[in-house]
Amino acid sequence: MMQQQCRRDGGRAEARPPTLPSAPGSFVSPHPTVGRQLLKLVPTVQRGPGLWALFLNPLPCCRPLCYEQSERRLHKSLQMKMEEMSLSGLDNSKLEAIAQEIYADLVEDSCLGFCFEVHRAVKCGYFFLDDTDPDSMKDFEIVDQPGLDIFGQVFNQWKSKECVCPNCSRSIAASRFAPHLEKCLGMGRNSSRIANRRIANSNNMNKSESDQEDNDDINDNDWSYGSEKKAKKRKSDKNPNSPRRSKSLKHKNGFSVCTSASNTLPLLFSSSGELSNSDPFKYNNSTGISYETLGPEELRSLLTTQCGVISEHTKKMCTRSLRCPQHTDEQRRAVRIYFLGPSAVLPEVESSLDNDSFDMTDSQALISRLQWDGSSDLSPSDSGSSKTSENQGWGLGTNSSESRKTKKKKSHLSLVGTASGLGSNKKKKPKPPAPPTPSIYDDIN
Amino acid sequence: MVVSKKNKDEQMRAAINQKLIETGECLKELLRAKLIECGWKDQLKAHCKEVIKEKGLEHVTFDDLVAEITPKGRALVPDSVKKELLQRIRTFLAQHASL
Repeated sequence: MMQQQCRRDGGRAEARPPTLPSAPGSFVSPHPTVGRQLLKLVPTVQRGPGLWALFLNPLPCCRPLCYEQSERRLHKSLQMKMEEMSLSGLDNSKLEAIAQEIYADLVEDSCLGFCFEVHRAVKCGYFFLDDTDPDSMKDFEIVDQPGLDIFGQVFNQWKSKECVCPNCSRSIAASRFAPHLEKCLGMGRNSSRIANRRIANSNNMNKSESDQEDNDDINDNDWSYGSEKKAKKRKSDKNPNSPRRSKSLKHKNGFSVCTSASNTLPLLFSSSGELSNSDPFKYNNSTGISYETLGPEELRSLLTTQCGVISEHTKKMCTRSLRCPQHTDEQRRAVRIYFLGPSAVLPEVESSLDNDSFDMTDSQALISRLQWDGSSDLSPSDSGSSKTSENQGWGLGTNSSESRKTKKKKSHLSLVGTASGLGSNKKKKPKPPAPPTPSIYDDIN
Repeated sequence: MVVSKKNKDEQMRAAINQKLIETGECLKELLRAKLIECGWKDQLKAHCKEVIKEKGLEHVTFDDLVAEITPKGRALVPDSVKKELLQRIRTFLAQHASL
């Protein structure tokens, strides 16, 4: 029946293909005739890459018995078409040509895109917006010379420069100028703290002293430069121009003690005890006594209690204990001989009875004789004395911690400590000052 | 025959483009990024400025720009960028040999 039907369709139309199960997504021409007509219009479709072109080809067979055959044929033709279209079928030169074409297209796309942007910028007026005038361009040109950075600045140009302080008219290194100014002007955190402390100290001092000295000869005290250069934190510093300082420093009998403001360790040295009455754990250093102003009696008493060796740097007597490790006994003997004549002996030889009889009043008298000078002339190289002062604190601080008997203020504790310390130092000659160190921190804590 | 070949090429290119889009290949974006990175855009911009200054800001037309810029642009693409892009294209074609 089907065959007859086919033949009846006529010559023009070819056999109607049986309805094929359509593959998903594929385009099947609804009518073979239409497909054929299309084919005629586009004769090259047969060899074209489009998959859809395949299905425009009419299938030769329409008989149901040939269904399988037709399917096979379709499949084959599909494959052929695929192979034809496959790029692997092409030789390398063609592939390369295609690649080049694609590349050229991409570049042209980018150029065109760029042209669009530029043209829009020109027409909207913002094309030249990011330009600067040529003068500025020259000013800020990148510098590429050795020894300069890209801005044309010399590296660490300011290290060696010196500034003149407007307050004290000293020439200070640029990098140290700010801290100096802070101290010099009395502004800044530390300065107010020091000032408060000094006020408290001088209040205490005024109770013990009756007369006030004038400040004239204190004003030309030198700043302790060496202390500034210390790497450790400085807890207190002295304003050389502070009137309080001069008052507390000047002594009735003309003692003057040099100070160096450095050292983080709390020193409970005798003279420091006076000035740090309210805060015994603040440090103050005394490094030496200038012996020119001392009378012979005072000298002798000093030499009985202190090391007394004259430092070469500062020409001042060492105020550390008789056992201070920085100076030898020979030096101490030499100093005593120099001052007190050949008959002078080192105080160690003396009986310890004297020391035992030390009490508060004696120590107070001794301490009150010692006074702070405005500042010390510590040179930066004079680290020895700074170390000395450190150790001093340790040695004496230790002793003060031992003598906790006093019920009075801490300030007096330091005095007592010092006194007994001086005494006990002589007793404990063989013991080095180092071991008691931990006790200092106990004291602090 | 020439016409047919041209058609064939065009169709092939169309198919390739189709495949490009399908697979999500962003060669265009890649090229753009690379050109900016290597300074091609800045060089071309400097050249543009000269051209525009020459022609006068008001009288620049788009065609002028294209005519001036495109050949320079093509020439300015550095070799490394060109090679890398060609390599990528070849890889892509090899991957998708059967369309």
